[in-house]
Parts: sequence; structure tokens; C-alpha cells
Amino acid sequence: MTSNSVSNTPMLDHIKELVGTRDLLWAWTGRNLRARYQQSILGWLWAIVQPGAQAIIFTVVFTFFVRVQTGGTPYILFSYVAIVFWTFFSLSLSDMTGSLVANMNLVTKIYFPRELLPMAAMLARLADLGIALLLLVALMVYYNCFVLSVAWLCLPGILALQILLTTGLGFACAAANVFYRDVQAALALGVQLWFYASPIIYPVTVVPESMRTFYFLNPMTGIIEAYREVLLYGRAPGSYLATSAAISLLVFVVGYHLFKRIEFQISDVI
Amino acid sequence: MQPLVSLDRVSKEYRLGVSQISLPALVADKLRAAVSRSAENHHRGRNLWALRDVSFELARGQCLALIGSNGAGKTTILKLISRITKPTEGVVTTDGMLTALIELGAGFHPDLTGRENIYLNGAILGLSRKYISRHFDEIVAFSGLEVFIDTPIKRYSSGMAVRLGFSVATCVQPDVLLVDEVLAVGDVSFQQKCLKRIRSLVENGTGILFVSHNLYMVQAVCDRALYLKNGCVKSAGTTKEVIDAYEQSIHEEHTPTKSDSTADGESGHSPVTITKVEILPENGAANSHVLSSAEPAVIKVSYHATVDIGPLNMSLFIRRSDGLTCCMIRTASDGHRLWLHRGSGEFSIYIERLQLITGSYSAHAYLLNDSDSLALTPAGRQSEWFMVKGNSLSYAENSGVYEPIVKWSCE
Repeated sequence: MTSNSVSNTPMLDHIKELVGTRDLLWAWTGRNLRARYQQSILGWLWAIVQPGAQAIIFTVVFTFFVRVQTGGTPYILFSYVAIVFWTFFSLSLSDMTGSLVANMNLVTKIYFPRELLPMAAMLARLADLGIALLLLVALMVYYNCFVLSVAWLCLPGILALQILLTTGLGFACAAANVFYRDVQAALALGVQLWFYASPIIYPVTVVPESMRTFYFLNPMTGIIEAYREVLLYGRAPGSYLATSAAISLLVFVVGYHLFKRIEFQISDVI
Repeated sequence: MQPLVSLDRVSKEYRLGVSQISLPALVADKLRAAVSRSAENHHRGRNLWALRDVSFELARGQCLALIGSNGAGKTTILKLISRITKPTEGVVTTDGMLTALIELGAGFHPDLTGRENIYLNGAILGLSRKYISRHFDEIVAFSGLEVFIDTPIKRYSSGMAVRLGFSVATCVQPDVLLVDEVLAVGDVSFQQKCLKRIRSLVENGTGILFVSHNLYMVQAVCDRALYLKNGCVKSAGTTKEVIDAYEQSIHEEHTPTKSDSTADGESGHSPVTITKVEILPENGAANSHVLSSAEPAVIKVSYHATVDIGPLNMSLFIRRSDGLTCCMIRTASDGHRLWLHRGSGEFSIYIERLQLITGSYSAHAYLLNDSDSLALTPAGRQSEWFMVKGNSLSYAENSGVYEPIVKWSCE
């Protein structure tokens, strides 16, 4: 028995409902993936080509034109490790933001928990990340850097933090985009700036000591640094990750709350 | 017994025109507000009550029709029940599994094959992958698209996509089924198949909410109906009662007012205008709107001409309330011509027997030039709605269009 009225349903019901529609979540994720790589020759290889090409360009620029000190790690490995995770972050954010508007006819015609659309957009990019990681492993093996260590156990935790941050922001942006399409354009700009504000193409050590505390307020700084630390140096991430974790959690709670608040206005406004 | 769906004093308000927000408009608004304090209560965009205080219940095994003209609030009701949107006031309660045929194949992706889309559409409707797998062959067989099942949907015709959508949506026995004007697409044989499916669902206890402008289909499928007008329930009861009320109201709306009959649009350019079309029983009272199917009738056409004019042709159509043209009466085909005198006058057409089935009709008359190629009164003139009483019940299923004169014999 379900009732539809002005008052909001409690949180527990949302979660129960989400679990009930996991089939749709998988189907929609699959649809996103299949639709993206249908009628394309490279198909899922694009998931590797895109970050790979970026890493190559940065390697040319920052080893031959401008020298960036990476502490002995080959630059391509140094940058690719960050770029794969950054690509997952930025493309997820962009897809999630557009997910409700792009499926307008579905949203206005059929009921299902609305968070499914942004979540499926993110999950499809997560699958891309999995594919892109194959090249990372290949690079690590090639440069004799592939050493299994206990620190790897931190990886799922770091990834979970990143997903928390991504979905939190993605929910907020998707909701806002329903009302103002400016969000999509502003996001593209914001992500571009954010790219340079994160240690992707340069190491954290180039940031002046006095600015470090401030610099680590960017949750992506801690997350990317943590991936590098674990994957390239086999060390567990330092305390800086706690800052990222706290901020990511906050972003998620606020973002999801925002999304749920406007959920039922979506079909009226979109 | 608990009703499947119940609406309790439900209202829904939409705000019109808020989507046109832009920075220049916002700045202009702020400026205007700054200049005059009184602009406080001047909202951009108006409010529209799509539904006002609507209450009804749908029981198990009941098929309820929602009828009314465009914008009456029918689709809003379906959207509230399927929880796509929230009511502004009141409570909508639903019990059990709900499937909506609001837009068939809304979740179809053009690049995916029919097979992939069946699973996807099923998931959107809340069916598990396992369930779809078990019923896959059944779904495909019902759609009749076996050959095309591994072809991307974008290569399908629109009718094929609708067939697939209907097949997926009705492969379950839902507790509540919402049908919104979707059966209009698809060919006649598929429509028949769909109606049969809908009837069997009703027999097995599904409650159906049916929205259609096709009153004949409504009559064929539904036992009860609700007539909505401007968001309010105008009448509720058995399908027949409600359709009668609906037609009565259409009839009233179409009754020409005084000002309407003097201004005939193009009258300034045309030397002749039709001022009135009436249909009357041959010997009956002048104001009677009810005619007998078996009795003679007379159609009277009044005109006003600024000059003596002729020869002219005249075409007259009798249309049923659902828009079907039942017959055409033309001077051109009868080898007759009209000569009209300056001033006002009238001529009449005698019909031996109307032979129409019970229902609501109106006559539309047009005057044309000598060669029957150019309308002198392009807008024509419509008579008031009139009722015909025949032997058959109004809108009974498959009751046909006309009543032939028959003789039975036994060898």
C-alpha cells in the first residue's frame, strides 16, 4: 500500500525502494554502456584510448618541454594513475548532471526512484574505469612497478570515498540542472579548473608548504594522492585522507538530501 | 473490500510560465519590483489548477473510464496515481502492483535490439530479469515480431514499437493498469488483440483506469466512467450515463449563440451565408432534439444572400459525436442545383428514414459554386447536436453505424 501526498516519505522507505529496483539499476547501467559503444569500431576500447591519449600528451609536454620532477617514477605512469581516476570522476559528474534531462520522456511518463538515473550513469563510468585500469596494470608491469602489498587493501576504501564524493556532487548537479540548464555548462568549466587544482599532472610537492593545508581541502587532492601512494609506492595513505573523507561524506549527505527534496518537482519542471 | 486506488479530495496546481527564466528577465523583474513596491504580489507566470477536489475509488475487477476534452485533467490523474508527480492537496492511495500504459515504449532505446529493450522495458515496469526470461517467448509471440527481435528498435515502424511496448506491459497480471490513449496506434487487428487482453485482465481482477477520446472503445471496455471538465468531476456513474452527460455538455457548448449566428466569418466576402441548419422530425415539434431512426426527417437550411445567385451546389454531412462522417448528401451527386433569391430564405431536404443508430449527431452544410469545386461558405454551418433513437442501445459494442431495413424469411 503506497500513498502519494504532499508530505515526504521517510528515509528508510527510500532505501527499501532502491533495493527493490536494483534490477532496473543494472539494466539501465547496461543500457548506458551498450548505447555508448554501439555502432563504434573501437567500442569499449575508447575507455582506454581517452585517458591513454591524455597521458601521452602530458608525458610529451612535461618530460621533453617542461621538466616535472616525479621522484624517479616514469611520468607516463605517474600521470596515468591519476588521469584514470580523474576521468572517472569528471565524466561521471558530467553524465550524472545530464541524466535526468536527457531522459525527460521517461521521467515524465513512468515512476521509479529518480536517483536511479544518475546512479546508473555513474556505474557505467565505473565500468569504463575497470577497463582503463587494465592499461594501468600493463604499464605498472612494464615499468617493473607492479608490487602487491598490504597497502592495496586500502584501494576499495579510497574508491568508495571517491564514489561518495562523485555521487553527492552528481545528485546535486543533476537536481539543479532540472531547473537551470546553466549547470551543465558551468560544470564543464568548473571541472576544467578543478583539474588543475588537483595533483594530476604535477606532484603535491610543487605546492608551497604554506598552502598545503588549504590545498588538501580539495577532496580530490587527498583521493588522488592516496591512489598514487598505494599503487606506485606500496604505502598506506597518510592522515590527509581523513580530510577528504570528511568532506566527501558531507558532500554526499547534502547532495542526496537536495536531490530527494526536489525529486517530485522534477516531472513538473523539467 | 479495500479499493485498489483511491483519491481523496485531490487537487493539483501547476505554475505556468516559470520555465522561461533567464538572467535578463530576472534583472528586468527586479528592476520593476524596485520601481514599484506594489509589484510584490505580481508573480511571473500564472497558476493553473489542473485538478480540483477530485475523489473517486477504483475497485478490483473494475474498469473505469476517464473522459473529457483535452486539458480536463485526465492525464494528471494518471500521473498522480503512478506517483510521477505529487498532489498539491489531498491523498492518493494505491494498493498492489501498478503498471502504466501511459507512453508505450517510453524507455526504449533506439540503438538497442528488440530483445534488449524487452528486458530494459520490463525493468522499468518493475519486472525482474528472471520473470522476463520466463515469459520472453510469450511476449514476443503476442507482439508478433519474432523476425525482428534482434533488430535495433530504430529500424522499427512506430506501430511495431507500440506493439512491443504493449506486449511487455501486459505480460504481467498487474493489480492496477493505467491506459492512456495508447491503443489509438497500431492496426485494427492489434487493437482487437489488445482489447481482448484488457478484458481478460479485468476478468482476473485487475482494476483498470482507461483514458480515451474514442467513446465507442470506452463503451466497449468500461463499466463505469468519470467525466472531467476543467479539473473537476462533472459526472460519475455507469458508462452510459456519463457518456450521455458528456455529450449533453458538448451539445450545449456547440449550441450557437445569437452573436455567433450573425457573424459567419467570411460573410463580408461571400454573397451568400448559411444562417442556420436544423434537423427536425417531419411532423414533430420544432424544438425536438430527439429523432426516431425509423421516421422521416427534414433538414432545413436557412440562408441569407446579398444578390440573386445560382446555380449553386450544396454538400451536407451528418457527423457522429466521435467525428465519424456517417453520410454525405450532395446536390452534385443527386443532379440537383439551387437558385437562391436575394434576402433570407430557406430550403429543405427530406429524408425518408434516418436509419442511424442511437447516438448524438450534427449536420454540417456547405454551399459551393456551380462546378462543385469552390466553397462559397468555407466555414460552413453546423446544426445543433441532435439525438437519434434507434433500435440498438447507445454505443453498445459493435452496434455499427446504421440500421438497414430488413425482411426476415424462413424457407
